[in-house]
Order: sequence, then C-alpha cells, then structure tokens
Amino acid sequence: MYERRRKRSIFDLMSEYMEEFEALADELMESFAERPSWNIESCCLEPLCNVFVTPKEVVITADLPNTEHETLKVEALSEDLIEITAKMKRKMRFDDFGITHREGEFSSLRCQPRIPVPVDTKRMKISFKHGILEIRFPRKRGYEIKVE
Amino acid sequence: MSELVKIVEKKPIPSGATMLYGLPDVGLVGLIATSYLISELNLEEIAYMDSDLLPPVVVLHEGLPHAPLRIYGNKNFIAVISELAIPAPALHTVMRTLVDWGQTKKVKMMVSMGGIPIENRQVITEPQVYGAASTKELLDVLSKKGLSILKEGYMVGPQALTMRYCAEKKISAIGLLAQSFYNYPDPEAAATVLKELSKITEIKIDVSKLLEKGEEIRLKARDIMKRTQQEMNKMKKSQEYDLPLYV
Repeated sequence: MYERRRKRSIFDLMSEYMEEFEALADELMESFAERPSWNIESCCLEPLCNVFVTPKEVVITADLPNTEHETLKVEALSEDLIEITAKMKRKMRFDDFGITHREGEFSSLRCQPRIPVPVDTKRMKISFKHGILEIRFPRKRGYEIKVE
Repeated sequence: MSELVKIVEKKPIPSGATMLYGLPDVGLVGLIATSYLISELNLEEIAYMDSDLLPPVVVLHEGLPHAPLRIYGNKNFIAVISELAIPAPALHTVMRTLVDWGQTKKVKMMVSMGGIPIENRQVITEPQVYGAASTKELLDVLSKKGLSILKEGYMVGPQALTMRYCAEKKISAIGLLAQSFYNYPDPEAAATVLKELSKITEIKIDVSKLLEKGEEIRLKARDIMKRTQQEMNKMKKSQEYDLPLYV
C-alpha cells in the first residue's frame, strides 16, 4: 500500500509526465522527418539544418555543399520563419544518387527553418565557411526583474 | 551470440584479421571512412547481420537485395558498415554480437573509426584525430605513432560499446576519432581518420578521391545523417560534451 502511494507522489507524477512529454516530442520530431528530403516540383533538395537557442542568440546553421556563395539567399518570411536558398554548382539528378525509378533534376538547396523564440531579424549576422551557412540572430530581450 | 541477432556468413571468414567498424555516428565519419576503404581495397561482402531488432529494411544494389548491416573483408581486414542508423535500443545487442563474432574469428585488433563533435568545426581546416584504446600498451603504441590520446571524458554509442566489450574480453581495440561536425556528414574528418589508420595498420590509403567527392557525399548522406541524429538523440550522444566528475 505504502509502495503504491509512494509511486504516485507529486514527484513521480511529474517525472512520468516529463517522460511522456519527451516521448511525444520525439515522436513529433520523427514525424516531421518523415517526408522526402527533395521536391521535384521546385527542383530543390532540402539541406541539413539546425537551430540552437542560446541565452543571447538564436544560431541557425545549414550544410550547403556544392553551392556558390554568390547565389546564397536568406529571406525572413515572417517573424519566426526564414528561407535559405542556394543554387547548386552542378545540377543533380536522381541518377546521380543511383535512383533509376524516379525522374527529376535538382538545381537548388532550400530549407525553411523556424525560429523558436523572438529575435531581431534585422540584426542577423551571416557567415559561410566550408559550405556551412551560419546565421546569428540576437534574441529580443524581455524585461529585467529587479533583485531585491 | 545472442538469438535476437545473428551473423550470416556468406564466404569463409579470414582468421587473425583487423576488424574495422564504420557504423553511423557523429558526422558519419566512421561510415564514410570505412565505405571508402571497402571500395579502395576492393573488399568483398563476406557476411551480414540478420536481426528482428533492426527495422524491416532491405537495401537494393544493382537490383538485388542486401542487408543494411554488412561485413566485408579480405585476408587482412574485416570491415563492418551499416547503411541504416542502428536503433538506439538495439545497439547493445548488435555491438555485443559483433564483438563476440570477431572474437570467434580471432581478430588481431578491432578499430572503431568515428568523430568527436566540436562546435566550431567549420573554421578548422585540418581536424585533429584522437586515439582511445582498450589497454595501456595500445595507448602507448598510439602515442608513439604521434596520436593525441583521449584522456578523460565520455564516449557514447557504437565505439563506446566496442571499447567496453573488447576491454571485458581482453581483445585489443582502438578508437580513432577525428574532430568533426555533430550532425553534418564530414568526409574531411573521415579522410583524416583514414590517414591515421594508414599509419597504424601500415596500409596505403590514398584519400584524394574521397576529398574530391566530399561535396557529393555530403549531399548523398543527408538522409542517413538525419536518421542517425534521431538515434543519437535517443542514446544521449550529447553526453560526450559533458565534463566528467573526478574528485
């Protein structure tokens, strides 16, 4: 009896809730990944992309191999969504991946990462080294809480 | 060998070979390096893994089905690769089975090739390779070959388990880990690891073709990298960034 009561303590409930939440978040993330990494209509391949949130910045990186620096475009579509596009130096077809049962040609890399917290898009800083794009956005500050 | 996982041998397996692991992990460094080596040394498929713990996937090459986790070899080398991100819950059983199987083949040494994630990888032109080993004697060998040693810290994933099971079974094992991207395919890091492997095993490996094809590999490896990242998250791979507590 004691065992059962102990298991349902507030800490156990919180821990169970967190585990369920993490599992759901994992499932959700996986379901997002379950789409092709290419789009025949727009002739685009989706590059690998990551979003990191630090206390002061949001840093978005994207792996853009086989692209020219000059063709790189970063556009803010809304306050929390940007679009990264870059033309490929050499177009690729499904054949190049060894795929013969699909047809299509890819000429660009494109992705639309979402910015998870408010940022100042006008003050973004962009660098492109080694085929890796890095965009740094300063986070919008809220208000300071006075320590008494 | 575990009943959940079995290794099906297609050809006679050499005895006393060096066994190389190239399983999907940080930056796909080991997988890219081992796949390149298989192609350069013209190794043939000698065995594959069959397991209900792995997803129901078959890989088609030239129209014919292949198991995603395959073993290649010649008389000197046995190389393990997987074209599938190994599900985190299956990793212990898969690695234990591979190490046990290698022991029955009296392998001379097991070598895990992989990456060490670093945040500013894009500003590094020549990634540094660190060595890890299952015994003090092997660490000394690596040091004499000029490798920096991974002295403290955590290893997580396939190479961690290879090291642990090999140490338990007193099998010689080393890890060659290059500074790499965490979740972007890193052919340059793979080339650097192969250069170090070449010093240790004294095989000649020309990595120029790998470097030439680097951009193409990065594009082709996007999907397996994405799935590998999902499994790395599940096995808490980011623990490799943690600072260990030694009092």
